[in-house]
Amino acid sequence: MTHFDLAGISFILFAAAAAGFLTCGSLVRMLMFLELMLNAANLALVALGPGAVSQGYAVMLFAIAAAEAGVGLALILSLASAFRTLDPGNIKELKG
Amino acid sequence: MTPDPISFAAGALAGPLLLLLAAAACLLLPLFLRSLRGTPGLIAVGAVLVALTFLRRAPEVQLSLFNGALLLSPLSVYLWAFVLAVLGLTALISIARPAAPEESTGEYYFLLFMASIGLMTLVAAGDLFTAFIALELLSLPVYALAGVKRSKPGLEAAYKYFMLGAFGSGMTIMGVAILNALYPALTFAALKGGTATPLALAGFLLVISGFAFKTALVPFHMWVPDAYEGAPTPVAAFMGAAVKAGGVIVLWRLFDIFDGGPVHRIFWWLAAITAITANLMALGQSGLKRLLAYSSVAHAGYMAIAFFGGQQGAQAVLYYLPVYAMATIGAFSVAAVLEKGEKGPQIEDLAGLAKARPWLAGAMAAFMFSLAGVPPLAGFFAKFYAFAGAVNSGNTGLVVIGVLMSAVSMYYYLKVTVAMYMKPAAGEHVYEAPGLAEGVIFLMAAGVLLAGVFSRPLLALAAQAARFF
Repeated sequence: MTHFDLAGISFILFAAAAAGFLTCGSLVRMLMFLELMLNAANLALVALGPGAVSQGYAVMLFAIAAAEAGVGLALILSLASAFRTLDPGNIKELKG
Repeated sequence: MTPDPISFAAGALAGPLLLLLAAAACLLLPLFLRSLRGTPGLIAVGAVLVALTFLRRAPEVQLSLFNGALLLSPLSVYLWAFVLAVLGLTALISIARPAAPEESTGEYYFLLFMASIGLMTLVAAGDLFTAFIALELLSLPVYALAGVKRSKPGLEAAYKYFMLGAFGSGMTIMGVAILNALYPALTFAALKGGTATPLALAGFLLVISGFAFKTALVPFHMWVPDAYEGAPTPVAAFMGAAVKAGGVIVLWRLFDIFDGGPVHRIFWWLAAITAITANLMALGQSGLKRLLAYSSVAHAGYMAIAFFGGQQGAQAVLYYLPVYAMATIGAFSVAAVLEKGEKGPQIEDLAGLAKARPWLAGAMAAFMFSLAGVPPLAGFFAKFYAFAGAVNSGNTGLVVIGVLMSAVSMYYYLKVTVAMYMKPAAGEHVYEAPGLAEGVIFLMAAGVLLAGVFSRPLLALAAQAARFF
């Protein structure tokens, strides 16, 4: 498996995650697709990027993905206790 | 006297580090020292004042630190002063009209500081990956800030902002990963020097759309009205004034990488569609905060028009940012003062304000006219310079759209003024003795007026900073 195959996989993964994010109807799944998007980008960084710098970028991206998951999960927990639902279609306090 | 580069860089970097310390102090001190409960706001304002004293006149060179990751120049000093001012004003409004419940005041200021440090890094970032990290450091705290009240509207605002913002970040980092493979380095200088292959173009488009989410250019603006309406009003002011500025600066740098070509054509369309859609959508709004949200989207469009003006445009954008921020912070503070429920006042709630509280109504009218671009207020000159640059570079069509749409915007800004001055009050306006929030409002009103009548000093600073874009 060359690194170009890996890059191809990362593009497919990214497209699938983005499509999943836009079509799925649950907050937790949306968060999971978001993480998948970041991981696809991470794979592309490692597979295509030149040298050690890209590996460094990838490690930093892990940390950012973790922070994002932390904020996202905290938000989802508070949403779940305030609205008693995880379906974005039922969370409609504001118009729009 | 300008200091030598080394001591200047040390002094400049001390600013964000000081904010970091202050953030930790706001978060932790009240936990351990009972007598310090309720003071994080004062710590915050004090820290901002001290950080402002660290800003010195920069030497007339661009210092590139950490392998080009951070660029220090008069430009970064100008923008950092802007960020610190917005942070200080937000803290002042938050003291007067608390956005967070009592027990999480410390966290509130901590997050505000973190977002400001992210923004300072973002506007000084010299390479794309640093810009991405700074963008995350800016966005993640603001997601949490939007929902800090844990009320239903606040949480809904926070999740909408989070989902779309994180989607935008995902697109940005994928674009960065592609560019990382194609260019020897990710600094803006290296990106400018390379040739843009079709794959690189795809990478740039991903990065640009990611930052367009933050700047709220149409069609990446869907989160803006809900986020501004549901978020606590001081946080909405911060989002409108500061977060947008960060996005604008990075978009400018991305725009500047190219001379014409498909990317500029895309920016042309983004600017045109943003100016048209946002102004038309704003016409039908009845909530004050929603109206301000659409107005902020429209102003992002005008700034994108200014991109086309080259050097003159850079100067216009740098003048535009503080002028727009003053009017926005002022208008949101008025919303905070009149706020009764969770979602901010409706426009009809402002009826009769001119009789009940004439000074407040006068200040609000000044903000509305400045946003609409009526001379001699600062908003007029900001728009004038923004459009003049674009005309000089031959983008007359775009400017015609911009001018027509600001004529449309007159309608909804006037709607607010008409409600205040010509409609009888629907309910009672409770009289309150002027406090800190009113102080901020009058300061901002004086700012919009003075920056317009005496626009030279601010414009000269903007011109000096613009040379280091």
